[in-house]
Amino acid sequence: MSSGQLLKDSARVVPSPSSGAAARPRRKRLSLRQRRQGAFYAFTGPWVLGFLGLTAYPLGYALWLSFTNSDGLSNRSRFVGLANYREVFTDPDTLASLGRTAVFTGITVPLSILAGLILAVLVNQPIRARGLFRTLLYLPAVVPPVGAALTFKLIFDRDSGAANGVLDLLGINGISWLTDPYARWVLIVLTMWGVGNVMIVSLAGLQDIPRELLEAARVDGASSFQSFTRITLPLLSPVIFFQVVTGIIATLQSFAPLLIALNPTPAGVTSVPQSNYFYMIDVFAQFFANGRYGYASAMLWVLFAIIILVTLLLFKISKSAVFYSVEPESAKNKPRTIGDA
Amino acid sequence: MVFARRSAIYMLLVALLALFLSPFGWLAVTALKDASELRVLPIHWWPHDPNPDNFAGALTTFDYLGYARNSLTIATLYAVLVTLASAWAGFGFARLNAPGKRAIFGVLMSTMMMPTIITLIPTYLMFSKLHLVNTYMPWVLWGLCGAPYLIFLFRQFFSNMPKELEEAAIVDGCGTFRIFLRIFLPQSWPVIATSMILSFSWTWGDYIGPALFLDDAHTTLAVKLAGGYVNAHGEPMPNLVASGAVMYVVPVLVLFLIMQRGFVSGIATSGLK
Repeated sequence: MSSGQLLKDSARVVPSPSSGAAARPRRKRLSLRQRRQGAFYAFTGPWVLGFLGLTAYPLGYALWLSFTNSDGLSNRSRFVGLANYREVFTDPDTLASLGRTAVFTGITVPLSILAGLILAVLVNQPIRARGLFRTLLYLPAVVPPVGAALTFKLIFDRDSGAANGVLDLLGINGISWLTDPYARWVLIVLTMWGVGNVMIVSLAGLQDIPRELLEAARVDGASSFQSFTRITLPLLSPVIFFQVVTGIIATLQSFAPLLIALNPTPAGVTSVPQSNYFYMIDVFAQFFANGRYGYASAMLWVLFAIIILVTLLLFKISKSAVFYSVEPESAKNKPRTIGDA
Repeated sequence: MVFARRSAIYMLLVALLALFLSPFGWLAVTALKDASELRVLPIHWWPHDPNPDNFAGALTTFDYLGYARNSLTIATLYAVLVTLASAWAGFGFARLNAPGKRAIFGVLMSTMMMPTIITLIPTYLMFSKLHLVNTYMPWVLWGLCGAPYLIFLFRQFFSNMPKELEEAAIVDGCGTFRIFLRIFLPQSWPVIATSMILSFSWTWGDYIGPALFLDDAHTTLAVKLAGGYVNAHGEPMPNLVASGAVMYVVPVLVLFLIMQRGFVSGIATSGLK
């Protein structure tokens, strides 16, 4: 905004309270706080409406379905009470798929965050062409999921893939990578290929750390490891926490195995190998292969409950582990100076 | 000492780069191979007889450009709408206060945690009753409401902007809408770029949305590609899959490379420096 424009705006706005006071006395009493309250509802209103129509209503519909034996098509569905939920918690196949998903989440989320942080630190070093390194390491994360899945299907193809080509050079026979039990490793490698996402967010966090703090620490004789653990990590903890939460949520509901399956269509879920048969793949199978809308809806609600519980737990832990440097509400109490730090 | 350390970092980065970029290389190599080169041992690391006809084959096996147009329309429509709507809502959550804010924000956070599919299938049933299936209206509606993740992203960014910016504007008599439009929105262009790139590539890459909401005539390139290119025996044809995937992925990479100026370094710059 140019200063001229700013001046013009002020000139137009400043006299208005007095003229408004004469014409509409009540308007004047509307305090700044009240006006900003009204603005809050105006700014968040569209999202609230969308939430009610496009999330709450469908969610309620799914809840209703979960108490029926609906197949989504006929009108002959009837109320079955908690039977679907009882089945979710007793069906060994469903529980196994849940366990498989939990293990995969437990492996890939910490691995991604660690690798992403290491990459971020590396590309934040004062070296030449670091912008190029950042861009190129991030590039795989930009590849659409279907494109990435197709690429890895080609690399791990039994007959024409590069993975078996490397094994052949080592004198090892080719492996059917996309079937049991190897498919899970292909999926982990595919997931890690997109770690640039974590890198870029961590990098943004790193760059937000005031350089003066790190310089002051160096002047005081702190080693680079000390300033990393005492300054960088605490200031980065909100960023890391954000990524833990979103990473777990995204991975628990992942249907990525479908995309590297032999027949990647909603109806082709049965072609997903056992070792990649995640909870969400099971949901797809119940919806599209078995037409059990009621049972699948119950499965979704169970997953939703699990996600809420895990997240609440994380937020509880975060109260002691996450360090927020600037909170808008209490900014006055925490001046952003480093003078007496 | 410094030189040795920098050299080590360089070597590590170059090695990592080779690892991260090698899948692109294999995609390109496969895209240029003739069908006769695909099942040979030892494997051909380089196409001996590059066959650019694969690209023509990938374009004509189905109406590739038609499906690309569908993808482009949906992705652009959604990216623009959702970015503006999310910045709008994110500003409200970051800088304004009113009774009920905590509750609404709690709902926003839990929506972010929602398994997308839990709403997707009931939404599909709802939209088919409203005759919105096989149109792009679902994406318009989703866009206008903003996406929780992007709202959160904008909210985080706006929360970290100094209070002085706002206070000065209020003293000058600036209304809330103008503070948002003239001060906060222009400052947030790195987040806008992030949001545009993210939402565009989500939609361009989204598989399950179009697979559910759109029939074969209206669907996107992602859905069409996922099934791959199969021959008369139902076996996939890797060279066509690869060339189809190259043409699908490269536009996204180019878009990112054009728009990434300032995207990486500017993502967390605040108003006062």
